[in-house]
Order: sequence, then C-alpha cells, then structure tokens
Amino acid sequence: MSFLQPLVLIGLAAVAVPPLLHLLAKRMPPVVMFPALRYLKATEREHSRRLKLRNLLLMLLRMAVIALIVLAASRPVANVGAGRMHPPTAVAIVVDNSLSSGAVVSGRTVLDRLRGRANQLLADLAVGDELWVITADGQPRRMGGTEATAILDTLSPSPVRLDLANAARQAAAVVERSSLGARVVLVLSDLQATAFSTGDPIATGSMWLDAESTPPNRGIDSAFAEPVLWSPDGTIVVGVSGDEGNAAAVQVSVGDVLLTRAVATPGAHVALAGSLPAHGWYEGVVELDPDELRADDQWWLALRSALPAGVRFDIRAGVFVRDAVEVLRSGGRVVNGSAVTLSDELGSQVTVLFPPNDPARVGAINRELAARGLGIGFGPLESGEWIIEGMFDAIAGTAVWRRHRIAGDTKPLATVGGEPWLVREGDVIIVGSRMDETWTRLPLTAGFLPFLDFMINRVAAAESWIERVHPGDLVVLPRRRHRSCLLVGRSPSQRIVRSAPHSRTGCSFSPMRREIRLARSR
Amino acid sequence: MSDRVDLLDPFEVAQLGDIELVARGVVEGFLAGLHRSPFRGFSVEFAEHRPYQPGDELRYLDWKILARADRLFVKQFEEETNLRSIIVFDVSKSMDWCSGERSLTKLEYAKRLVAALALVLIRQRDATGLIAFDDEVRKVVQARARPIHWWQLLRALVELQPGLGTVAEPALRKVTDLLRRRGLVIFVSDLLVEPVLVQRTLQFLRHRGHQVMVFHIMDPGELYLEGPAEARFEDPETGSSIIARPRELRSVYEETVRRTIEEWRAALRGSGMHYHHVLTDMPFGDVLRRATVSRTRLG
Repeated sequence: MSFLQPLVLIGLAAVAVPPLLHLLAKRMPPVVMFPALRYLKATEREHSRRLKLRNLLLMLLRMAVIALIVLAASRPVANVGAGRMHPPTAVAIVVDNSLSSGAVVSGRTVLDRLRGRANQLLADLAVGDELWVITADGQPRRMGGTEATAILDTLSPSPVRLDLANAARQAAAVVERSSLGARVVLVLSDLQATAFSTGDPIATGSMWLDAESTPPNRGIDSAFAEPVLWSPDGTIVVGVSGDEGNAAAVQVSVGDVLLTRAVATPGAHVALAGSLPAHGWYEGVVELDPDELRADDQWWLALRSALPAGVRFDIRAGVFVRDAVEVLRSGGRVVNGSAVTLSDELGSQVTVLFPPNDPARVGAINRELAARGLGIGFGPLESGEWIIEGMFDAIAGTAVWRRHRIAGDTKPLATVGGEPWLVREGDVIIVGSRMDETWTRLPLTAGFLPFLDFMINRVAAAESWIERVHPGDLVVLPRRRHRSCLLVGRSPSQRIVRSAPHSRTGCSFSPMRREIRLARSR
Repeated sequence: MSDRVDLLDPFEVAQLGDIELVARGVVEGFLAGLHRSPFRGFSVEFAEHRPYQPGDELRYLDWKILARADRLFVKQFEEETNLRSIIVFDVSKSMDWCSGERSLTKLEYAKRLVAALALVLIRQRDATGLIAFDDEVRKVVQARARPIHWWQLLRALVELQPGLGTVAEPALRKVTDLLRRRGLVIFVSDLLVEPVLVQRTLQFLRHRGHQVMVFHIMDPGELYLEGPAEARFEDPETGSSIIARPRELRSVYEETVRRTIEEWRAALRGSGMHYHHVLTDMPFGDVLRRATVSRTRLG
C-alpha cells in the first residue's frame, strides 16, 4: 500500500487529542451540591469497572475515527490483485520506438518487450483516467485504452531519433494541463544514453521502464557549423553521446568527398575544421563509426559557403571599426571591395551607416535617405544608459550611453531600451550609436569582431540563417532578399534536396507568405 | 383546578402563608374530604348514623338500613383515644436542599407536613410530641393532647434550622423515654443515613409495641441524575465528593435509587412498620391520605 498524499499522515498526531483532552479537561469540573451522594457513590462503586472499560473503548474508538479520517485523506492506494485501485490519473506513456528498439535481445525485439510492458500498463487503467501516448515522433496524442492498444500493436521501429528527455518534458506538460489530481509520466525505453539531451528536470512523477539489457551504443547528439557561414573555411562542432569509454571516429563528408575526420569520446564535443570547395550550399553528413545500433550514427546538416564580402571602409566610422575590419581582412573574413560600405555617410551599394561625428550632418543624411525612398533616419541624440537586446547573442547585454533615436516603422534587428538601435531597410543598415567608447561599450568587448563579421557577411551581404527544424515545424523566413536555400532533414528518409526558392520539390514554399512548411518525404 | 389547599402544589401552598396557616388549610381540607377520624384509637364506639356521601368507605355503610328502608346511611364512631405519638424529625443539612427554584426544600416541606400531622393528631385528642435531630438530638417537645399544645409544636418547628450530619439512633432511643406505653412513632427523614442501624433501632421500637410510621422525604431531583457533562458532586453534610458524568450513570443511578427505596419499604413493612415515600412536589393532602389509608389497613 502507498499513499498519494503522504504529508497528510502528519495528521496522525491528532490521534493524541482525545487522551490529551481527557487529561486536561478532567481535573476542574463544576461543583454540584448533591445530598444523595450516597446513592451516586453506590452506583459508581457497582459500575465503575464497566464504566472504565466503556470509557476506554470510547476513547479508542475516537482515536480510531481520527486515524481513519487522516488515513483516508492521505489517499491510500492498494496494489492488490487484478483490480488495482488508483485515483483518476492523467497518464502519459512515452514509447521509445526509435531504431534502437528494433534490436533483438534474447530472440525478441526490444520493441516487443516495450509493447508488452505498455499493454500491462494499459490494462491497469481505470475508466476515469486520461491517457496520452507519445511515440518516436514526439507528438503527444490523447486517446483511450483500446485505441492505444491498437496503435501499440502496429508500432514498428522508426528511423527518427527520439529525445527521451524532451519527450518526458512534453508528456509532463500535457498531464500538468489535466484537471485530474494524480499525474504520472511513464517512459518505456531501452534507455540508451544517446537518447538523452540536457534540459530542465520535470516536476511530474515519472517512471522510467527499460527493456532489460540492450547492446552498448554511441551516437551523434548534435552537429552544427561554426560559423554558420563559411568563407570557405569553417568548423563543424559534433556532440557525441553514449556509453562511456567507447571512443569512435567521426567524419564529415560533403557528397562523396571526405571533408574532415577526428576521434570522439561519448559525452564530448569535437570541432572538425574543414573547407568547402566553392561558395554555395552543401549537404553535409556527419558519420560516426557504426555500432550495432546504427540509427544515431549519422547526422545530416546544411553547410553554406560564401565569398568574403568586399568592404569599403571610411575612417569617419571610427578607429575601432577600422582596426576590426583590418583583423577580419587578415583572417580572410572580408576582402577589399565595394559591396559593403562602413561609413557615416551613404555609399553607392549596401551601407552600414553609423551616426556622424558632427551632429550638424544628421539633417543632410536624413534628407539623402528620404531621397532614396527610405523611411528610416537618425532621430534626436540622447544620453543615458541602455542595454542592447536583439538578434545577436554576442552583443546582447552590452551597455550603450549615447545613441540617436531611429525614426521609421521598420522592425529593428536590435533595440536599446525597447527602441530601435539597429535597423535595415533596403540597402542601408543604420546603427544608433558610433563605435566609440564614449557612445557604447561594444568596441571594447570580445563580441565586437563577431558583430562586425555578422553585420558584413550575413546582414549586409544577405547571407542569412540556417534554421534547425523538425518535420511539421513552421519556418518563417526573415524579410530579406533570399538568394537560395537548402533544406536538409535529419535522416535520409526526411532529406529534402536542394530546394530553390521557387521549387516546390519536397516542401511547400510561398515567397509571398515567406513561409516554408516542411513535409515528410515518405 | 381544585380549591382545596391540601390538594394544591406544595410550593404554591407555601406561598399562601406561614406554616400555621398552611397546616390548618391542609388539615381542614383533608378532614373535610375524609369525614371521619383519620387515626383510630384503641377504643372506638358507635355514635350515630348520617347520610352517605360520595367518598365514604363502603365498609361503614349500614346494610341493615339499606335493606330495610332502601336508604344509604353510614355509621359514625366516637373515639376515646389516649394515643400518644412522637414525631421524630430529621433536620440535618441534607434536608436543606431542593433541586429547583420553584420547589420547597425537603426541610421546609417536612416542617409543613409535620405541622399538619400534629394538628390532625391533636384534633383527635392524641398527645403529640416532637424530637428534632441532626447528628444529635436538637429539640424535644413533650407529648401533650391539649389543643394549645399544637402551638408549642408549631413554634418549635418554626425555630428549627438546618443542622449538620445525620445520626438518628440517639433520637429514636430518646423516644423510649417519652413513650412509656404503646404509642405512635412518626419518623420523618430523607433517610440518608446508615440503613442497618436505623432499621434496627426502628425494629426495637416496634418490638416495644409502638406503631412506627416512616415518611421518606425525597426531592424529585434526587430520583434522577442531572447536571453538566462532567461534574464534581459534593455531599453538603460530609463535604465528600465524587467526579461523575451524569450521562454515563443516569440509568444505573435511577436503578440504584429505585432499589434503595424498595429495600427500605421491604425492610420496614417486613417488621410491621408503615413506609411512605414522599416527594416534595406531592400535595400534602395526598400524603396524609395515603398515611391514613395504610394505617387503617394495617391497624
């Protein structure tokens, strides 16, 4: 027997109340004058034994009633026999039917064992229970016990990698929304170490049921390009998880070409440096030495290489900007050219426009912006202290002391004090502050170089995002000029190959609505 | 509602006046209903006939006249009494108690009852005396038959105050000094005494040829155990006490009281004595009538 509200058992201390009341209240009763005390004494003398026994039984009865009330309030649950009792419960069952569940152990697949345990759990459900089932696709579905049994019977190993931690969090979220008082998450899995990501622990009570022994496994936990935009060199950071002490080779290929390789130990991240042959999109695959469970030994990702942007620098943008551009140029991230201008006056092509050193020039710049048909411009100069918030993590939280308000309705790329600080419209990107230590702390921070790299190669050159999404996710493209895109699934079966903006192969894409909805390729 | 004082509620009767007035009213009403001498002496002779009235005992009906003239007459007797009676009256502290605001204490009730009894006896020319006691003999009034003697008895009764404990044997033994020849002993008490000693003393009087009549005075509140959920019940005489829960003991207490009354009744009647259980809410006339009937029956 167990208790759903064990803290209520503290109330058992109330059992001591009747004896205490008896001891405390007995001593000072009111006095009643009664001449026939002789009869009363005779009565008590003859019946005192019976009265004492009756009073003792009465007190024991009162104590028992209190104990029973407390025990009932603690909601005991007895697990006896076939008709197991439990209060109405919101149950979420996570069935891990990822590829590893196809492994055969002792002549029986792991999935069969998980299915058997799931059916046992379903048999214990009562009429008032609410049930959700989550399989490898990670989507919780509300259903009845019969429907769940039918789904489990037809369940087969899926090539999709199920993140058990995320699935448990989702399961906890759906049962927490239930109005039922009792909630539980049941995870049926082979509990491979590769199936777990990090994240917040769940508060809902959960039970993790494994399917006995499974073969040792390692797998790729994550893989992403760093930086996102190669020029053409870059790094791929690969996270490897699995049973410890089982090091394996990791390699990155683009098409049939081996890009780079290294040795990785489960639980560690390795950075694999590589270089793409030319600018454009590449479909890369990270591969781990195969083990018995193959599903998590590959990871597909998109790689983008672009030529370094040609930059024209104007000394009036400030010495910090000049020095940073020199560093980027020496690192091969930018080259001399005229594609992007960094200045406090408008250039002929794409311009990153900083406020002029002389405030008297603001009016002329604004008039020139208006003449180009742009709705943005510098507003009044203000002093204070603000924090940068917005798109780029490297500069978020950096202090700003002087800035021009930026006029216009364009959605900002970054803000200070909730107002626009970095805005792009057309070929002009306006920065609200000069890159000077009297205006902002930004040029003195480590994020300054990545910031300029980001501004030049991705914002100004319109080489934009790489999104990590899952089938069914809605992807909203930013409002910029899109030269191309590549959608790559996480496994061969979900791969969408080289989808140009106007192609509808494998995805629904509407440039007008700026949305891409990924579809399953099966 | 009856207009006879002897049949009214004792508390209401007590509001009408002092002991003398109440006793007179009770006795007048009592005798008017009785139409004959309540306590027959040892020498009773026929006197005359009078027409039958409802309430007359049928055994005094003259059957010969009924057969001869078809008229109902009863025979009246002339009493030549030389009965000497002593009233032994318990004035202990336990008698000074009543259970309600609208009731007489046992002592006040008993004073009026004793006064009435004394008046009835003296009216039939019986010499009547009084011994009052608590833990010792407190007052002694010699037995006299003169009508004015009732006033002496009345004065003694009025002056009596609640005493201390209850020890009846000395007072009952004192009776032997006052009654040299056979007489009537009337014992008025709440009988919260040691029963064996008192019964033995009363039996001694009975063996000496006295008629013994016992009035067991009880307040109705003594028949039942009432009070708060738990209380310390204290004896006003001895100061001893006991903690009890009336709800638990109520039924067995009533059984104990009922059994005690029956034991007193059986013990006294078994020795040829008269026993009357008197509650303080009983009309005085009823008590006198019951006493009269029982004494007539037992002789």
